[in-house]
Amino acid sequence: MSKLSYKSIKERNESAWLLPNDGTRTNHALRNDMRRYADGDEVDLVVVGSGAGGSVLTQRLARAGWKVVCLDAGPFWDPDTDWVSDERGAHVLYWTEPRLIGGSDPVPLGSNNSGRGVGGSMVHYAGYVPRLHPSDFATYTNNGVGADWPISYADLRHYYETIEEELPVAGQKWIWGDPHRYAHHPHPVSGNGEVFLRGASALGIRALVGPVAIPNGRFGNRPHCIYRGFCLQGCKVNAKASPLITHVPDALAHGAEIRANCHVSKVHVDARTNRAIGVTYLRDGMEHFQRAKAVAVAGYSIETPRLLMLSATDAHPNGLGNDHDQLGRYLMVQGAPQTAGRFDAEIRMYKAPPPEVTSEEFYEDDPSKPYRRGFAIQNVSPLPITWAEHVSAQGHWGKDLRERMSTYVHWATLGALCEFLPRAENRVTLAEEKDRHGLPVAHFSYSQGENDKLLLKAAQDAMEQILKAAGAAEVMTITRDAHLVGGARMAATAEQGVVDPEHRVFGVDRLYIADGSVLPTQGSANPALTIMALAARLADKMIEHGRFA
Amino acid sequence: MPDFDVLKQTPYWDAVTTGVVMERLAPDTQLAFFTDREVSVARPLVDLLLGQHDERLVPALELIDTRLARGETDGWHYDDLPEDADAWRQTLAWLDEDAQAAHQLPFARVGVDAQCALIQTVQDLSQDSKDWHTYPASQVWSLWTRYACTAFYSHPYAWSEIGFGGPAYPRGYLNLGVDRLEHWEERMPSSGGSA
Repeated sequence: MSKLSYKSIKERNESAWLLPNDGTRTNHALRNDMRRYADGDEVDLVVVGSGAGGSVLTQRLARAGWKVVCLDAGPFWDPDTDWVSDERGAHVLYWTEPRLIGGSDPVPLGSNNSGRGVGGSMVHYAGYVPRLHPSDFATYTNNGVGADWPISYADLRHYYETIEEELPVAGQKWIWGDPHRYAHHPHPVSGNGEVFLRGASALGIRALVGPVAIPNGRFGNRPHCIYRGFCLQGCKVNAKASPLITHVPDALAHGAEIRANCHVSKVHVDARTNRAIGVTYLRDGMEHFQRAKAVAVAGYSIETPRLLMLSATDAHPNGLGNDHDQLGRYLMVQGAPQTAGRFDAEIRMYKAPPPEVTSEEFYEDDPSKPYRRGFAIQNVSPLPITWAEHVSAQGHWGKDLRERMSTYVHWATLGALCEFLPRAENRVTLAEEKDRHGLPVAHFSYSQGENDKLLLKAAQDAMEQILKAAGAAEVMTITRDAHLVGGARMAATAEQGVVDPEHRVFGVDRLYIADGSVLPTQGSANPALTIMALAARLADKMIEHGRFA
Repeated sequence: MPDFDVLKQTPYWDAVTTGVVMERLAPDTQLAFFTDREVSVARPLVDLLLGQHDERLVPALELIDTRLARGETDGWHYDDLPEDADAWRQTLAWLDEDAQAAHQLPFARVGVDAQCALIQTVQDLSQDSKDWHTYPASQVWSLWTRYACTAFYSHPYAWSEIGFGGPAYPRGYLNLGVDRLEHWEERMPSSGGSA
């Protein structure tokens, strides 16, 4: 992409040019000079959470002249001083407040799928940013499973394109779903990606490099990736895109306030007008109330339902948006088995960013299969602690574990994302256990269905075949889950979901949800790009709503 | 064994990361979480899980103790187990009870073979999806191995043993691709242990 075409990006989002150009990563002056509102000021919008959804919404509305305060429970990170290039040391990036997990297939949270601080879980996501396919929006009509969205792919296409430019994304011309190009050439691949491409090619399975939210080259004042391989530990380089560097700087420059270390404990709804009027939050052990004309919740699939349940009123005794027992339900994870293969050659899969190569050959529904819908395959590259999980999951411990671990640099790893279907019983509820603020914590129950189990098996088979075709001497698989979406899904009516097609919570005025919990289905795509695109679309809708209010 | 020593690379690491990594070389040896009685079970358990009962490479128990004392969890616990700290105390007490029942001796005194057998019992129950005492054995196994492996493989000695280059910041990597090593990396054997 030429310098000239960056001009149009810079005109709508200057974030990459607002970062320092002196070898440091944080524009402290921009943060110090940030506009600050008093609790008593009635701002136009308070946003709860500054992750993929909340940050984009904040940036767009600040640009449109709205007075916006975005509250985040965690810190306002400085990559230079707060993050380390170390697997264990990245613990601070995960949401580790207590949560309970259950069901027949409990889903571990924390490092697996939950972020903390400004930038949210995109701070520690791998950086894969595929789009959903058009088919994902009508799985019920087309395949008799899942749900139909009340909006279509066409409603999101423009927003996918604009967010892809702002991240920006590197990758080959994309041939699956709605075919499209990426602004940046694909990155060189490491041993791990090379193995994937070689195995896939031998079997006639198409695999492509990308799509990765790391510019290939400088972008604004963001430097080139150094291929150090610690994407999941927070990018100290400022190369991998996260809202902390892609949307927050521009939001601040346009008058938004990002108020860090503020845990929102309740959304307030005026009993007479039935309007959201602000939020209670806790900072340094003290309670505050921020007044606002509207509230957008963007706390992701566990904390968003929890907060709306904690905000119950006399008129909404089971929580806001829960008059029809829909809140917290249809929460989804993707089945994410990882299969590794051992090679005589050295692979050193941790060199280069973990996101490298993708195949969406198995993504679409195939009527000849015993299961509905499908899966994607991508490179993953577990660091030593996570790799020990792979090895110990095979039953190894003691000396045996140590010996097996000693061949670490000879393994290549693939990960699948299986489209697990939404199920009403997979949900968040409030537990009896309390957090340190004295608030009931979330309980997340998850159980796989039969279709989900068939997908896991098919994905494992495909990954084993690819690795063997590439020459693996042996393979091993670990079953995991990845990502969270749903829990407050978008639907045409209040009987079927929590928000309407314009993200308005059913039954309450001026209350919105702006995160991944609104997704009715998930496809086999990593969700970050879709969450950002939905938030960008929501911003346009809110500007329209504001005009009428 | 290769003689790769990742600590020779520390001059190429940034100061913040170096500080965090180097602290693991000399953790506080004054335990804050485990009681003496619990240590008598936990130390052999953790060292056996990590195959370092005959030669301690990493102060794993100290690293686990620091973590539990701080209440630094993974951000979730199974709904049929208490919080991690309580689950650790309870499972250590049960391991001691098992040793008493089988050998009329505390876990610390039954010898390595008997200790291994008692630990293996929990893993066997785990693989059969059965309970050990009143907890699902698989969740106990997950708790023990998660904490033990996290402590061990966060340590530079363990990185040297598996040929991992450590933080790689701000230097990064130049030579990407199969069998392409940096000048400071060393070749590692391609097999070890049985499949």
